[in-house]
Parts: sequence; structure tokens; C-alpha cells
Amino acid sequence: MNVNREHRGQMAAMSMPALVFTVAMIAFPIIYTIWMSFQTYSSTGQVIGWGGDNYSRMVADDRFWNGIWVTIYLYVLSLVMQLVLGTGLALLLFRARRLPGIMRSLFISPFMMPPVVAGMMWLVILDPSLGAANWILTSLGLPPSSWLASPAIVVPVLAMIDTWQWTPYVALIVLGGLQSLPPSVYEAAEIDGAPRHKVFWRITLPLLLPTLVTAMVLRSVDLLRFFDLIYITTQGGPSDRSMTLNIYGFRIGFEFFQLGYASALMITLSIMVLGAVIALNRLRAAVEW
Amino acid sequence: MANESAGSMGLTSALLVAMALPAAAQDFDWRAHEGETVTFLANSNPLGQLLIAHKDEFEALTGINLVVDSYQEQQMRQRLMTVMNARSDEVDVFMTLPSREGMQFATAGWYKDLNPYLEGAVAPDYDAGGLAEALVDAATFDGQFIGVPLNIEGPLLYYRTDVFEECGLQPPSALQELPEISAALKECSDLTPFASRGLAAAVPYTFAGFMHNMGGSYMVDGQSAMCSEPVKAAITLYSDLLKEHGPPGVVNYSFQQLTALYRAGRSAMSFESSNEFSGIMEGGERMEDTAIMPLPPGPGGSHPTVIGWALSISAHSRNPDAAWYFLQWASSPQMQAKFALEGIAPPREAVAESAEYNAWLGESPVRQQWHDALAELARTGTSEIGFPIVGNPESRQYIGDAVGSVLLGTATVDQACATADAALNELIARD
Repeated sequence: MNVNREHRGQMAAMSMPALVFTVAMIAFPIIYTIWMSFQTYSSTGQVIGWGGDNYSRMVADDRFWNGIWVTIYLYVLSLVMQLVLGTGLALLLFRARRLPGIMRSLFISPFMMPPVVAGMMWLVILDPSLGAANWILTSLGLPPSSWLASPAIVVPVLAMIDTWQWTPYVALIVLGGLQSLPPSVYEAAEIDGAPRHKVFWRITLPLLLPTLVTAMVLRSVDLLRFFDLIYITTQGGPSDRSMTLNIYGFRIGFEFFQLGYASALMITLSIMVLGAVIALNRLRAAVEW
Repeated sequence: MANESAGSMGLTSALLVAMALPAAAQDFDWRAHEGETVTFLANSNPLGQLLIAHKDEFEALTGINLVVDSYQEQQMRQRLMTVMNARSDEVDVFMTLPSREGMQFATAGWYKDLNPYLEGAVAPDYDAGGLAEALVDAATFDGQFIGVPLNIEGPLLYYRTDVFEECGLQPPSALQELPEISAALKECSDLTPFASRGLAAAVPYTFAGFMHNMGGSYMVDGQSAMCSEPVKAAITLYSDLLKEHGPPGVVNYSFQQLTALYRAGRSAMSFESSNEFSGIMEGGERMEDTAIMPLPPGPGGSHPTVIGWALSISAHSRNPDAAWYFLQWASSPQMQAKFALEGIAPPREAVAESAEYNAWLGESPVRQQWHDALAELARTGTSEIGFPIVGNPESRQYIGDAVGSVLLGTATVDQACATADAALNELIARD
């Protein structure tokens, strides 16, 4: 017992530096940002006030509410598309066991691409005047589109690009889930003569739910802080229609130098991300089998 | 602006002192800082790329190790603001636009005052007095000289002579003729009649010329004047031109898209930066069928936009003396003569008058037109692209938003200007 206690003490002492370092690295930026969010800065970076002004300004700021709306719209649209298409792609890969390795690699290649490169590539493809997308549309006798320059469709277009890039990632996670499903339930279903669509809806999907929720958690964190693709392609435009909270906060902080207000926006975004993760983790616990 | 008169007096005296100190110039040694390191934060525009391309010459001349950190303009500024806010010495020298961030950075104390350097180690042939006075004044705030001018630039109207000829059109002689000419071009050609910047943050660079030529001014009696009749007329003219005759997706257009479109032969008129001249002429296709002119005058006369990039030393630099050598080298008559032959308009009259530069201009009529247009900008231009306040960079966003919302049809001009006025008056009050 004494040896154990001594051993534990040694372990605690030895892990303390790493623990302190990790806590400091996580806690310091958060505490510092919270502290900054209660300060008001001038355009030259000088602190000119202290208090809750940034938060009251936020509530009255139309662009903040627009940012919340765009963030949620983009999040829901992208997540639904990626889960549906990712599950479909995973089922395809699961059934096509003899698919050559090169084909599998091609399927998953988009998410290996840095988002900045993907953004630049799509910017060129979707250029309304010189891009390939409109060339294809007009060659087929269809009217050209403004794509990323259209206030009406800019968010769906961004969701499409993100879906192109991240669906394979979701597919890989779901494929892992499919491979771990117990074969005995499928054998029983086969003996009972259950049709394929019923096997999918009644067996595969319910058993896959924990995996799908894991994929949702992983994608949710990225989607709620959606940044690089928008920064490269639209910078929040046209007319703020793709101005997510993250992009808005970044521009306020690093272009207009209102570090206090930007911090308040980022704290709010962090709370949103944390809330989503907690909710999804509870959901995961509920669907665990 | 108030800073200009005070500033020019301070600078003039500094320049006089510098020129009256031949002893310091005689002692000057380019290798005085051999072995030291200078970090240069560069904008990867054509000017920054040229500085980087000639980096080896600077290192060979001085023995100073030049570390280059290069980004696109927006990213460069974001990095700079992070570094400066942290009072870091990571950056010794950086490129800056005094017309944009000059007042903001000077008020924040981020620039090293260059007046003492002009009185110290100056190369005998540097000729500080030869730098364009207007640009020197624009880089002077409260008597502090914050950056040596590197170039002179402004938006110019590039147009296709072959298309105009084919359509039987003359180039515009007044701003109000642009819609009519664009409509005629639309009738007789497949090309986009008129292209200019539409991206909110980039719009003021091209819009300011329209606004001034229509007789407008951003501020009247210390308040935002976006809803004054001339400014509203300018917003309507500019956004209608782009809406009716601009390229699809123009709301996301900045200089890269404009250059690509014009170079590819897809626009008949393009109002864009003089700095893009070499980019537009790349490949030589547009060399023979392009003419260049300043923006035509409007009811308010001719007040084209003219600005210049400058090179500054960070107030937090731990090696400002070696950094000053880089500034001198980059803005020296010899280097600026080299840059001029690459399509960077020189901020020194002596370089503009040199035989070599004039021979280069003489090789093509369009080069001569480019130079003549820039000379007119230097003579009659104004650098007021955003509001003349500390929050100038932020003011540009609100100007761009007003134009953008009318262009997209999400607001009437009255709604757009009222929204802009509210935001801008709040910004003016804050600063």
C-alpha cells in the first residue's frame, strides 16, 4: 500500500510539468481572449475602455446575427450533404471489395488537398467569365451562373465545394463502422429473407448510428469554424452573404484592428462549437449499442 | 490634410540637412553592416516581386543577409498587424501604403521616423531631394517621414483600340459618356464593355476617382458625406456601369480578375491599376491593340487617384541601421531606373527623364501612353481613396459595401448611403 502510494506520488510528480504545460497552453489563450473581449480598442490598438460594451454592441449588430445565420445555414447544409453522400460512398466501397487500390485512393484524394489549394482550384473553375463550369453549362445550352458571386447561391456553392472535399473523409469513417458490424445479424436477415432496403433501414443504419454521430462531431467542429475556403474564395461576400461568424471576427480583428470586439465574437463562436459538441456527445451516448 | 503641411515642413528641413551634409555622405560605406541580417516583409505585388528578384544584388553590395517574408497584400498586412501589436522585432522592414494605413500606423507608433537617417548615413548619389515631393508629403505624418517612396501608381483606363475602331467609337472624353459608350460596345461586340473592381474592400481604389470627378468628397465638416448628391451620383454611375455592362460575378472582382479578363481579350475597357501594366502586357497580345488614359473628367473636374507604395522601418526593429541601407538601396536612383524598365513607374523625376527609360517608352506607343497618364495623375491626382481618418482601412469597407449593395440591387442608393453614413460617422467618432 505504501509502495503504491509512493509510486503514485512519483507518477504525479513526473507528469506534473507536462500537465501544467498542457493546461497553460489551453487555458491561457482562452482566458486571454475572454479578458480582451471586455476591453475596447481604438483603431491603433490602444485600450480605450473596459466593460461589457463589446457584448452589448454584438447584440445590436446586424452583421453578428447575419454571421450566426450564415454559420448555421452552411453547417446544416454541408453536414447533411456530407453524411448522406459519405454513407452512400462508404456502402459503395464496402460492397466493391475488389475495387483496385488506385480507385480507392482517388475516391479519398480530395480531403488530402489543403483547403487553400482546393479553394484556389474552385475559384478558377467557377470564375463566371473564364471558368470551366460556365463553359460546360453554355456548351450544354444552359444559362451561365454567377456561382460564388451570386448572393442567392453562394452558401450552397460553398457547401458543395466543402462536400466535394470532405465527403470521402466521412465515407472512410463510415466504412470503418461498416466493417465492424457483426456479420451474424446479416446472416439472420438473409435466412429470414429480408429485402435489401429493409436490411439497410432496419439493421445497417441503426447499427451505424454511433459511427455517424462520431462523424458528425468531427465535421461539426470544422464546419462551425469554417474559414479557409471562404477566405480564399469570397471573403464573406457578396454583400455579406457568406460572412460566417469566424470570417467576420477575423476581419474585425485583423483588418479593422478592433481586437476587443473580435474577441467577443470568437468567444461566442467558441461557445457555439462547445454547445454543439456537448449535444452531439450526448446523442452519441444515447445511440451507443 | 493637416499632417501634410506640418509634415512637409519637417521633411523639407530634414532633406535640406541631409543635402547639406556632404561629410556624412563621403564617409558612407555600403559594407558598414556586413554580416548583419534584415528581415523584409513584402507584398507579393509586381513591385514586391521585383525587389525580391534583385535581392542578390543588395546582398552582394552590402554583405547584409536579407531574409524575405512575402505574402499577398491582405495577408501581409494581417501578419504585420500581429507582429506590431505584439511589439515583436521579427520584421525590420515592410512595404506600406501611406495613403491607406499611414495615419493609423503612424498614430500607433509603428513606423521608425526616417528623418534622422536622412541626416546620417546616406550614399553620396542617393539624391533624397529627387524623390517626388507629393509622395514624400503623403508619407509624412506630424513631421515624421515614415517611408521612402518606391513607385507611383493609380487606376487607369485601358481600352481596346481595335474594338473601338470597329464600333466607330471614340474614347470617352467625359465620365458621363461611359454608360453610352459601354452600351454601344455591348451592341457591336461580344466583349465585356466595362470592367472595374467590385469586391467591397477593393472598390474604393477605383471608385474614389469617380467620386472626386463627380464633384464629391467623403467628408464635409467632419461628418460622412456619402449621401451628398455628387457621391450618390458617383455610386449610381459606378454600380450601374458594372451592373449593366460589367463582367458576370464582378462583385468578387479585384485586380487579379481584371487583369486576367483584359489580357485574355475579354473586356473592351478595364479600369485598373497602372501597376498591372506589365501583367496585362504579358505575352504581348495586348501591346498592339490597347491604349491607356486617365479616368475622364466629370462635372467636378479631373481628380484621378494617385498613390505610391513606400518602404518603412519597423519601430520595433532591433537592426534599424542595417534596415536603412535596404531602404536606400531599394529607393536609389539606380534601382528605380531598373524597376522602371520592368513597368514600375518611378517616383523620381530624374529617372523618368533618363535616356534609357525614354528609349524603353519609345519602343511602344502604349508604354508612352501609360507614362503620360501617370504623369497626369502625379500632376492632378489625389490620394484620398478612403476617409482621411485613422480608421481609413475600415472606412474603405463601408464605401465598398455601399457600392456593392447598389450593384447587387439589395439596396437603393439612398438606403446604401444612409447605412454607410451611419457606420462611418460612428467610426469618425470612435477615432
